Amino acid sequence: MKTISKMTISLAATVLLIVGCSSSSMKPSNETVLTPTISEESLGYRDSSLYSEDNTSLPAPKYGDAAAGTSQKIPRAFQDAPPMIPHDTEGMFPIEQGNNQCLSCHMPDVAPSVGATPIPASHFMDMRPHDKIVNGTFEKAVDNMKNEVSIKKMSDIYQGRFNCSQCHAPQSDAKLVTESKFKAEYLSPDGASKSHWSDVMRDHLDTVGKDSGVTQKDIENDNSLAGKPLQGH
Amino acid sequence: MSFSRRDFLKSSAAASAAAAMGMVVPTGLQAAAKEAESGWRWDKAACRFCGTGCGIMMATKNGKIVAVKGDPAAPVNRGLNCIKGYFNAKIMYGADRLTQPLLRVNAKGEFDKHGNFAPVSWKRAYDEMEKHIRIALKASGPEGVGVFASGQHTIMEGYAAQKMMKAGFRSNAIDPNARHCMASAVVGFYQTFGIDEPSGCYDDIELTDTVVSWGSNMAEMHPILWSRVTDRKLTHPDRVKIVSIQTYTHRTSDLADIEIIFTPNTDLALWNYVAREIVYNHPEAIDWDFVKKHIIFATGPVNIGYGLRRAGEKSITPVRTDGSAGKYSAKEMIAINKEMNKKVSTTEGPALEPYGYKAGDTMHNTAGTLDHWEISFEEYKRSLAPYTLDYVAKIAKGNPDESIDAFKKKLQALAALYIEKDRKVVSFWTMGMNQHTRGSWDNTLAYNVHFLLNKQAKPGSGAFSLTGQPSACGTAREVGVFTHRLPADLMVANPAHRKIAEKKWMIPEDTLNGVGVQDIMRIHRDIEDGLIKFAWVNVCNPYQDTASATHWIKAAREMDNFIVTSDGYPGISAKVSDLILPAAMIYEKWGAYGNAERRTQHWRQQVLPVGDAMSDTWQWVELSKRFTVKDLWGAYAPSGPRKTALPDVIAKAKAMGYSENTTMYEILFANKIAKSYKLDQKDPIQKGYDNSEGYGDKRNVVGTDGKVFGGYGFFIQKYLFEEYASFGRGHGHDLAPFDVYHKVRGLKWPVVDGKETPWRFNVKYDPYAAKAAKGTNNEFAFYGMIAKELPHGDLSGIKDKTKKALTNKAKIFARPYMDPPEMPDAEYDTWLCTGRVLEHWHSGTMTMRVPELYRAVPEALCYMHPKDAKDKGLTQGGLCWIESRRGKVKARVETRGRNRPSRGLVFVPWFDERVFINKVTLDQACPMSKQVDHKKCAVKIYKA
Repeated sequence: MKTISKMTISLAATVLLIVGCSSSSMKPSNETVLTPTISEESLGYRDSSLYSEDNTSLPAPKYGDAAAGTSQKIPRAFQDAPPMIPHDTEGMFPIEQGNNQCLSCHMPDVAPSVGATPIPASHFMDMRPHDKIVNGTFEKAVDNMKNEVSIKKMSDIYQGRFNCSQCHAPQSDAKLVTESKFKAEYLSPDGASKSHWSDVMRDHLDTVGKDSGVTQKDIENDNSLAGKPLQGH
Repeated sequence: MSFSRRDFLKSSAAASAAAAMGMVVPTGLQAAAKEAESGWRWDKAACRFCGTGCGIMMATKNGKIVAVKGDPAAPVNRGLNCIKGYFNAKIMYGADRLTQPLLRVNAKGEFDKHGNFAPVSWKRAYDEMEKHIRIALKASGPEGVGVFASGQHTIMEGYAAQKMMKAGFRSNAIDPNARHCMASAVVGFYQTFGIDEPSGCYDDIELTDTVVSWGSNMAEMHPILWSRVTDRKLTHPDRVKIVSIQTYTHRTSDLADIEIIFTPNTDLALWNYVAREIVYNHPEAIDWDFVKKHIIFATGPVNIGYGLRRAGEKSITPVRTDGSAGKYSAKEMIAINKEMNKKVSTTEGPALEPYGYKAGDTMHNTAGTLDHWEISFEEYKRSLAPYTLDYVAKIAKGNPDESIDAFKKKLQALAALYIEKDRKVVSFWTMGMNQHTRGSWDNTLAYNVHFLLNKQAKPGSGAFSLTGQPSACGTAREVGVFTHRLPADLMVANPAHRKIAEKKWMIPEDTLNGVGVQDIMRIHRDIEDGLIKFAWVNVCNPYQDTASATHWIKAAREMDNFIVTSDGYPGISAKVSDLILPAAMIYEKWGAYGNAERRTQHWRQQVLPVGDAMSDTWQWVELSKRFTVKDLWGAYAPSGPRKTALPDVIAKAKAMGYSENTTMYEILFANKIAKSYKLDQKDPIQKGYDNSEGYGDKRNVVGTDGKVFGGYGFFIQKYLFEEYASFGRGHGHDLAPFDVYHKVRGLKWPVVDGKETPWRFNVKYDPYAAKAAKGTNNEFAFYGMIAKELPHGDLSGIKDKTKKALTNKAKIFARPYMDPPEMPDAEYDTWLCTGRVLEHWHSGTMTMRVPELYRAVPEALCYMHPKDAKDKGLTQGGLCWIESRRGKVKARVETRGRNRPSRGLVFVPWFDERVFINKVTLDQACPMSKQVDHKKCAVKIYKA
């Protein structure tokens, strides 16, 4: 078996950096001794022993209690990310057939007057091509092999977006279990507060550039030696 | 990469030229220019999370993901995602990503099970793995090497893992967490259709008149499908009806026209009630022409136990006078003992009478079996006799505060919706019907109702099993990463199937092991029994996600074995392991997933992995370099479940041109055919994209041989996918070519001549059905091949052993209501149901590290009825203990949240490692599918 002396492992300094350190500092250096410094308890966010529940501590989170219209808005997490709910939602859920309290303040014609974030244009678009049964046979409205899209503007909110809480959630003050190293980037100065997606939703959809179309050659797949149908079953 | 440079120059130039000429630049172009200036690259990808399988558009800049937006071209979700879908952008950036292998060592630097972790090189990590695999093989044979696999493995990873395990190690002890997610659905498909996966597709939603959600909280668990249901409902409010059939009220009920709250497990009785209404009270609704042409009736034994440990197993031996046995306490043995014998209760007595049992009888259980036999329609009809409205309402009403009359009216309304002529109906379900000690039965019962009415496999109508995980279908089921399966519905127990795989894999005949019974629960139990000595966790968290968790953790930590976990973050499985390997996460590798509507979707590697993390594919391929023909392909004595020896195939290997020292790497992964898949930066699919396995990458990761990893030199992901796909092409599972998937937003298999299949078994839409029905006027052909020859009998057993062929037919099963093995009583007086919440995925390793998702739901709550809380002296927001016969955990009481149980039931989600609810749940399972029922057990709740 391999011996310790043959191992190439970085020092305790690296050990301390193990969690989330940059790759450059992690290259093994020569001839060092392993130091068992990382305890099981230090891994993950459960800080109490796994073997007993007696000392498990739970966060005691508080959600924003500012009334709707009076709270500080939460910046969007990145360009065109769904905004989180900054205000108290007591009594606003559940969202039911004929009872969606979010819409009463966030519809664009009302929102500015009550200090609410207006629902953006993207929510007033139906992007689902409505396939039909014609003479008893299903017919597609667009060609998926060509990545065709169907985007129709609507006067009312697209009903598939009726369940607001599917994307927008209240935020508690719970202390994060780990920091996030994600860095937001915004393409426009107001990107943290406003969605611009409806302006660009058709862009970049041809992800293989000018070769995005499926060709007969692609379908024939003649060069795939491993991919030929198997005989015998 | 230099890829975006050209596009960047082009669009920037266009924009500045336009600006210079004073032209109005279209908004779209303007935005594109901005993005180019800022160095963004957009590409399509699949969402990391649930089985819905949404598409996303993902932006990267300088090797980091910077944004995710909807993809209007993605047929599943057309530009809309749920909160988790958008936050795919952040899942890889938690500060405690694993970046180096970590090994438990002592002060001398030697491996020590009781030591703390130290960072080690990939080489040292693999030296330890190799050593402990050799120890395990010597001690227990191939059965001693186990793998916890995943419905979140990419297709290529799952295929690589399965190939090395089954062809290399000759071990079938590989089974996915998907076992806990949809194994009952699979048994349902095999038994009913003879082939896995749904007949319908999501387009059913826009075409249907009725959506019935059976025990599924689609609003939170399949949010985008629910969004499609919502659009359908709210734009056709009078015609379209939604029925929510649940054990507690939740968001799915918020939009429903009818909500039915039932007592856990009695969904079996509800399905049989609907069938009885059809057969006894509305026989005119039966489409006899369809039924006679396409359906036969069948049943199987009812005394099949509950998937618990059976008498004689090592860890429940010896049985002591105080009722305890082996490693299990007397309290734990109460449920386990029912595995062998049980007393028929007054609740289930009437339902079991047609099968020859009555209340008070002792039922002697044998181990679960898939055996079944044909019966007459009259026998099926007799099985339905007990499910009168009175009986079903009495046992099924789940809300003690609802009147029996109100409940009966709802049941009648439910039956009426199914029966109504020309009303299209889709029935959806997921974990509620699958995680069930009679889950396989429950699944077949769904098809019964749809078949009787000829409302299956048609646009807008069908019973539709939704899948929980992003690739439970694509990887676990289709690749066959289960102990008993091979790709494309081939089975390890079938010698002819093994031959097909051996030929394709270019390995000697008789290499593959024909005994595949080590399902994921059995792997835990085999570790506890000491049979499995080496286990590797891939893309899952089995030490958090399995019921009776205390036992498995103890076995991992205290017994003589070596447990390895590959993961992106240190979850509970990592904590209890001996070695932790840093895994590349989803967008750090090329991959593909397959969703619940048979849609296969691919993505390219968007960014480099963090630290020294590498993909699971790489980790498997590297392991294959450590083992040669002579290491693995000699003879093995009988071991564990395998009662015969495995033959020595080394001579045959030599006859094929291999030597004793040929490595598994050369045979299974880097063979001549594999190398024909070229890395090529001129290929439009590969152009500008990293391939850390193919080329290595600029991190210069020092690999398992102690040298900088410089890449395999061929397009390994494409090779693995294409080789895997060859199993199903031409056999009803046709996948499109690799390149096609990179150009489109996924396709529903079978993909024949470049066309996907929306409705299987329907002659109009499925070329395989058309082929099978050729020469007839039939509109359907249920052409699945499994269990298509049956003996004949009645509800009590087989009467004529002669097997009769059922070509192109599907089955309706007689299956009774039965109690689960543990139900509330005087001491443990409350049902516990577990599950997920919208904001978190599974055990939360990713989503608890996304700030927005964490702050939205920072802890798992104990959702309960306000009156129960008051009666138990608990307060909203206060802490309580939730205790079962197996363990207890603390959680915060929530009486006014999104989940609103009736009195007598609590719901606690399982994502939170601090509220470790699987210490409380019971490892009962459907004895046919081996899927564990995490949805019900008995607990008591008191103030903490």
